[in-house]
Amino acid sequence: MKDQNIDFSMVLASAVHDMKNSLGMLLNSLDELRSEHEESLGESSRFNTLQYEAERMHNDLVQLLGIYRLGENNLSAHIEEHFVPDFLSEHLARHNPLLQGLGIDVSVDAEDINGFFDEDLLTGVLNNTINNAIRYTRSRIRLTAGERDGYLVIGVEDDGKGYPDSMQHTGTLNFKSLDFKSGSTSLGLFFASSVARLHSEGKRSGSIKLHNGGSLGGGVFEIWLP
Amino acid sequence: MTDTKADANPFGKLNYLVIDDFENFRLSIRQMLRSCGADSIELVSNASQAIQHCTYNHVDVVLCDFNLGEGKNGQHILEDLRYKKLLKRSSLFLMVTAETSKEMVMGAREYQPDAYLTKPINRAVLEKRLSALISQRNTLMPINREIDRENYPEAISLCLQMLPRQPRYKTWLMKTLGDLYFQLGDLAHALKTFDDVLAQRELSWARLGRCKVLLANRSFDQAVEGLRELIANHPDYMEAYDLLAEGFERQGRPTQAQQVLEKAIEHSPNALLRQKHLAQLAGSNQDLETSSEAWQRTIELGTHSIHDNSEHYLALGQALSDLSEGNLEEEGKEKAREALTVLKKMEKRFEAEEGISLRSQIVQCRVYAGQSQDKEATEILERIRPKLDNAAALDAATGLDYAKTLFRLGHESDAKALLREMSERFSNEPDILQKIESLLDEPVGFRQKIKARTLNRDGIKAFEAGNLQEAAEIFSKALEIVPDHAALNLNLVQVLMKENDNSPGDAELLKRCQTCLDRLAGLPEQHRQHRRYIALQRKLKGLMV
Repeated sequence: MKDQNIDFSMVLASAVHDMKNSLGMLLNSLDELRSEHEESLGESSRFNTLQYEAERMHNDLVQLLGIYRLGENNLSAHIEEHFVPDFLSEHLARHNPLLQGLGIDVSVDAEDINGFFDEDLLTGVLNNTINNAIRYTRSRIRLTAGERDGYLVIGVEDDGKGYPDSMQHTGTLNFKSLDFKSGSTSLGLFFASSVARLHSEGKRSGSIKLHNGGSLGGGVFEIWLP
Repeated sequence: MTDTKADANPFGKLNYLVIDDFENFRLSIRQMLRSCGADSIELVSNASQAIQHCTYNHVDVVLCDFNLGEGKNGQHILEDLRYKKLLKRSSLFLMVTAETSKEMVMGAREYQPDAYLTKPINRAVLEKRLSALISQRNTLMPINREIDRENYPEAISLCLQMLPRQPRYKTWLMKTLGDLYFQLGDLAHALKTFDDVLAQRELSWARLGRCKVLLANRSFDQAVEGLRELIANHPDYMEAYDLLAEGFERQGRPTQAQQVLEKAIEHSPNALLRQKHLAQLAGSNQDLETSSEAWQRTIELGTHSIHDNSEHYLALGQALSDLSEGNLEEEGKEKAREALTVLKKMEKRFEAEEGISLRSQIVQCRVYAGQSQDKEATEILERIRPKLDNAAALDAATGLDYAKTLFRLGHESDAKALLREMSERFSNEPDILQKIESLLDEPVGFRQKIKARTLNRDGIKAFEAGNLQEAAEIFSKALEIVPDHAALNLNLVQVLMKENDNSPGDAELLKRCQTCLDRLAGLPEQHRQHRRYIALQRKLKGLMV
């Protein structure tokens, strides 16, 4: 039984797929639990942690699958035109119960414009970014969208301490820059950067920018799409 | 705004249907809908209840879970409702999935839900998503109403009026506009619509639309090139593969078409119509292994689908019969058994269909004959013969299949008589005539047919290389298998005449030519080889004087 010829990445991918679906069910139950026991659970920090961490794992698995498909050359951006304010507020709705539970204040500040992007891919990126912001913010998160230099720029700002110097950068990440030794692998940023790059128009392609400041004075994540 | 009440509660006036196999989920969705202001909400747990409800009630919004356990899934319900027109275009169908990716759901793309909702769903998500969809529905209602009435010109002018006023729905409006022009056959305007979109931005749906128009316009090369590029950029865009396969077919390149479909099926194996297309294509490419596998998949996918059809079973039975014919090894026996099983299954499943048992027995008869079980074969033939004697009453497919069985059981003259009668009756239908000609040319089993075809190809190669003697030998060998093959006989005649040109005076050569042409004496005028036959006959007469 030496050469079983196991395609390990394939095995991993299907296992991840399975786990992701299980977590989806789990998150669904958590949402239901929260609405059924609103009074007793509303402020429970343990319940919030439960939901937050489950969300985080779910996002990680979604990204893993995305990166797997990227490696298989089986992921492309299906770009369509979307009304940006609608997209952002629909997107935010998903995080509402947890945000309310944590007492985090959210605002959306988007220009009334249409943007060209792949809805599913960008949802993956924003889920992860908002999840991160929830982790590092003190009390507020702000979503922004507008047109700058011919690019659609979607931003997520918080009022936390901001990104450490080593993480702030502009442009694209490659797979080698992932550091599996430090606690944070930047997997999310790698995914975001890959998604940005899949969005191209003529010679221009998308990118991400990380810096500090913004209107809330904390970390600012921006994805620039042509 | 005049209708302030409706604005205040857009959820209130509509009828909802929630389909999910878990009671908890149904109840929690109902709870969420109620808190959004909805009032009329029906809950059901499976497909038949859903279809029943839609048959007798008007529904504005369907919320349907994709995975419903055993039986039909959400996509089947969507197909059912849209196909039977139980759900209007102006009604919304929302597919609820546990998948973050839509792959699983992307079965038959003919019918698509208005939106996908990914679990987990909370009230806020549902309210946002649904209210956006409802206000879109209300805005676009006048257009969809005209489309439901099939009043396309009116729908087009409404789209054009709305375009400058509703930038939010621009994509929907442009897609619909392109589609409507296409359906009306106004290809110039359809092309212009897609080009307008592409001038602003490279969008895959517009590129696909453009290629579809090019194909309809018979600009096959342009369409094929555009689709190849589209697939190179979007290897997961399934519609592009389907259209490219069609493009290759129309270019007369069926092998490439088959390869494209096989590639698409690797990505997305659950689309019934794609599997069916592959099965047919591989069948006509004589790749019966691929064809029978694809028919098998088509049948499996059809179990709960509106597209299920007895033809799929019959086609699988025929393919397996051809594969097993004359193969008495274990592999051949197995295929023969499978063929009989699938035919039996068909008789049971489509019991009510007229003539189904007859169609089944025509194939069964060949299966037994192919396994040298002549007694069983003859028994069946004797049983069905009386019902098939009135040739004029047979439809083309039954007649052709019956003729094939008659040939296989050695009733050559009966088969030929039947086909002669049919070629008169269907003289205005070139597709059927072509099938009749092919059967008359090659009334032999699958393997022998392939052998004869290969020899024919080799013969042509030898002829083109100038090896006349070799070519003549190969063609003669092929004719031993299929002596009545029109094109083959004429090929041999041409080779022999050329030999005669090179070394005139060999009476034997011309005599052999005459024998070939004599075989085609009964060739009907509408036969594709008829003109060539006449020309060669004239030439031979000239040589023999």
